Amino acid sequence: MNRHRQGVIAAHEDPREILGVAPNAGDEEIRAAYLRKVKENPPDRAPAAFERIRDAYEILRDPRRRALHLLLSADPEAPLVSLLPARTRERRFTGPGPWLAVMREK
Amino acid sequence: MSGKHKQTKTPPAPVGGMTGASVLTSQEEEVRAMLARGSTKPALELAKKIHKQLGTQASEALLLDAYVARIRSLLEHGLTVEAKALLELVRERYPSVKDKVADLGVKVAVRQGNWDEVVGALNAPAIAEEKRAAIERVLKCQVTDLSALAECAALAPQHPLRVGAAALRKAIEAVTSGPVTDDALRLPEVSHRGPLGPWKTLVRAIAHFYRQDDVACERCLQNIDPDSAPARLVPALQAMLARKPGEHRLSTASASLVGQVGGSTEGLRNALRSLDAAFATDASKIIPEVQRTISACRAACPELVERLQQHIAIRAVNSEVCPSRLQASMGGLAIQNAYFWRLFARSVEGAAGSLAVETCSLWEQFRQHALAEGWFREDGPEAAALYLHMAELLLEIPSEELIEIRAEFMKGFSGYGHSYEGQPPAVCAVPAKHRTPDFYYLFPEGLFERSCAIDPHREAFERWLDWERQQSDWKTADRVAESWHRALPNDSQPLLYLMESAEERGALNKALGFLEQAEKLDALKPEVRRAALRLLIAQAVRYLRQRKPRRAEEKLVDLEALPQAHETDRPAFLAALRWTGCVILGEDKAASGYFTQVSQLLESPAAAVLICRSAGNACGLEPNEMDRCLPRKVLLDQTDSLAGAVARACALGDDMNVAFTIPREFQREIFKELSDDHCSLEARQLRALAEAALRHSLGELAYAASAAGLARGGATEARFLLLRARALPSWEFERRSDCLAVAAELARRQRDMALVDEAVDLRRGHGGLGIDFLDPLATMDEHAFSRTTEQVNAVLKREKQSRTFPVQEPEPFYDRFGEEDEADEKDEEDELPTFGDIARLLLESVKAKVKKKRGQKHQDETSGQRSLF
Repeated sequence: MNRHRQGVIAAHEDPREILGVAPNAGDEEIRAAYLRKVKENPPDRAPAAFERIRDAYEILRDPRRRALHLLLSADPEAPLVSLLPARTRERRFTGPGPWLAVMREK
Repeated sequence: MSGKHKQTKTPPAPVGGMTGASVLTSQEEEVRAMLARGSTKPALELAKKIHKQLGTQASEALLLDAYVARIRSLLEHGLTVEAKALLELVRERYPSVKDKVADLGVKVAVRQGNWDEVVGALNAPAIAEEKRAAIERVLKCQVTDLSALAECAALAPQHPLRVGAAALRKAIEAVTSGPVTDDALRLPEVSHRGPLGPWKTLVRAIAHFYRQDDVACERCLQNIDPDSAPARLVPALQAMLARKPGEHRLSTASASLVGQVGGSTEGLRNALRSLDAAFATDASKIIPEVQRTISACRAACPELVERLQQHIAIRAVNSEVCPSRLQASMGGLAIQNAYFWRLFARSVEGAAGSLAVETCSLWEQFRQHALAEGWFREDGPEAAALYLHMAELLLEIPSEELIEIRAEFMKGFSGYGHSYEGQPPAVCAVPAKHRTPDFYYLFPEGLFERSCAIDPHREAFERWLDWERQQSDWKTADRVAESWHRALPNDSQPLLYLMESAEERGALNKALGFLEQAEKLDALKPEVRRAALRLLIAQAVRYLRQRKPRRAEEKLVDLEALPQAHETDRPAFLAALRWTGCVILGEDKAASGYFTQVSQLLESPAAAVLICRSAGNACGLEPNEMDRCLPRKVLLDQTDSLAGAVARACALGDDMNVAFTIPREFQREIFKELSDDHCSLEARQLRALAEAALRHSLGELAYAASAAGLARGGATEARFLLLRARALPSWEFERRSDCLAVAAELARRQRDMALVDEAVDLRRGHGGLGIDFLDPLATMDEHAFSRTTEQVNAVLKREKQSRTFPVQEPEPFYDRFGEEDEADEKDEEDELPTFGDIARLLLESVKAKVKKKRGQKHQDETSGQRSLF
């Protein structure tokens, strides 16, 4: 049951987050999001991002595989530090201060 | 002045006695060289002396160049006040140089935020194009304070520069403070080609950055003029776009920006690593590390705290951590939502297979929360996959044990309600909805049914049917096959199962009905083709058993019409059935003719005897009837390989689904041939011989066949290792275990999944070896079969060398297992918790299992001293 391919997506990563779709997104929404992301990350310009997007779509396009991933992707034994990568990609709004400070530095 | 300037040496005085022109020429070069080196102060000092001495236009020009260079140098070093003072001195003493130092004046003004002086000239209606371009260049490169420009009094309020700067200031404020719409980025007030154009591009780059649109952001960064002021933000943005920010060397302000926007997680990473290490090696450090990690997480990544608390809580179940201290160190409870229960279920599932019942109860908790949180629908594929997963977990427990465990669990389990104390209302609402316990998740048949009703697919039905076949009578299994057929009417597999079921019960006509339906779906399917042949043969055999050879002949004619009846040695079997018919009818002469036909087809009278005798046995002939029509001295004339002939007959018997027996009088001769180093039988024949020998518990003969097969090497080694395992006496369980593990490993490498499954089934005791109680590894999953190449080679070498059937039983050492089992039982008795506190139950259960596993690992290591692993 748990022999499915993981690809370049880490076990704890949510393929929905990679495609930027809601948890309850339907097949059509998932496909549209996939096409949009591929357009933004074509394989010749962003091969790594493209692979992640393709693998995320491969998981999500097949409802059975999607279901299995949902159940089995949680890994309680994974190093705690592995919780971080997906999170650090979040970007915080700081206001203009720190941005303009860089310009005034010289 | 800085120390650097103080150390500057005074230049040498002009040489006396020389003419003005010659002095200038020689010392001008020296001044120019100093300026070129960046030594502006000594160059200026020397130029002053030259001009004082000569006072010519040329010396003044040299002096002015030195002043300009010096002012530039002061500006570059941030000494704006000094630069301004020197500039004013030059303007005062040398009014003619005003135009030459105009750009320096602008720079000084910009540095001091005095835009009035810079842009004031733009108000002049007849400003020269060159001057406008120069001012705009300054604006492009120097504007870092949009507010100053937006409020610059020297320009009219409606001046495009003031309007543009104000719009940009507003846009920067918006884009760095929250998500913005595309309208906010349009900025029609700012021209791309104007001096503030790079700012417009920067605003868009920042917007794309926050939208996680890294490609668009990168594109914008590439379009920013590298000389412009906004270009100073490019390295920081590029560092944040890259996965490894450490690759970029950033200024202090840039590094600070990256830290604030991207979140500096290095401290948190270190804390997480330390906590991982504490969980792995030092339980006493867990509490302080948890405290440190949660604090670091709150500071660097507050949105991660909830998830981290959940992971820590689950990890702590396996460690000896006081729950109240853990809760205090985490600064609160782990939220028991769907994510938590899934993690908990996976944790228990990974720790111990025998906790399947508890694991299923945790998965049920997950399901309830997941439905409430909208993870999936109640009738969605996720729910179906979950039911199937729970069923498969339960299938790991032997049926009798499951019944017992289930009854005990249902008696004591009152739900997880009380573990929700202190949880948020939304989380508490879920168990409140399910107050009455429903133990459906402890019954594999119910789980299979639910799963197949939601998402009917072949694998699920196959698992369900397999399970029902092992558990129930044929009626229940047939009902599953019927529901499979209803759900997937184009799948021939359930029809084949129903056909086989009917065939086993002797309902051959019913079986043929199912076969016809299967043929309509897929007549070319090998199973369907084989079944057609097998059913017609079964009908012919039944008529012959009923002593109705004429009816049997009708079926034999039907059989001859099938193309598959003419493949391999099958015509010989049809001739043998006809021989049987003749024996029943008393037509000895005709029978003799059929016997000759069988002999010719098999190229061996010995094989013909075996085939005819086996066919006669299958059709219920008496031995004296058969003896009457079989040659008595056939063996004496036999010059070919007897083992080969018997193997060929056995292979035909396997093909025809008729179990052939190896006559006792043949066994010694066959054994002798198999033990010969030059045995020439094919792998297929050896396998058939070994199978026939195993059917009749002729272990020694099967062992010899496996030895001959192993001696051949090649791709069939896996198969013969499996046969070797089956042929070994029961007390050789370690050798058997090695052989099965290596057979599975080799089969896996050859992608022969049927053989892998066979080995796994045998390893789990489903292969009829019946010695599980001795086998501590019998319940391990297929991953336990993984073997290195070295281990594979070692077993192969040992088994190839062991050509003699083992007969010496070693000293019994079962006592040790007995003691251990007793100890385990005691452990379980002592640690079997009450179901009042489910968290403690699971904690204790997991601990017990982990201890058991560790003990088992130790046992593996100890037994490894005796066997190869």
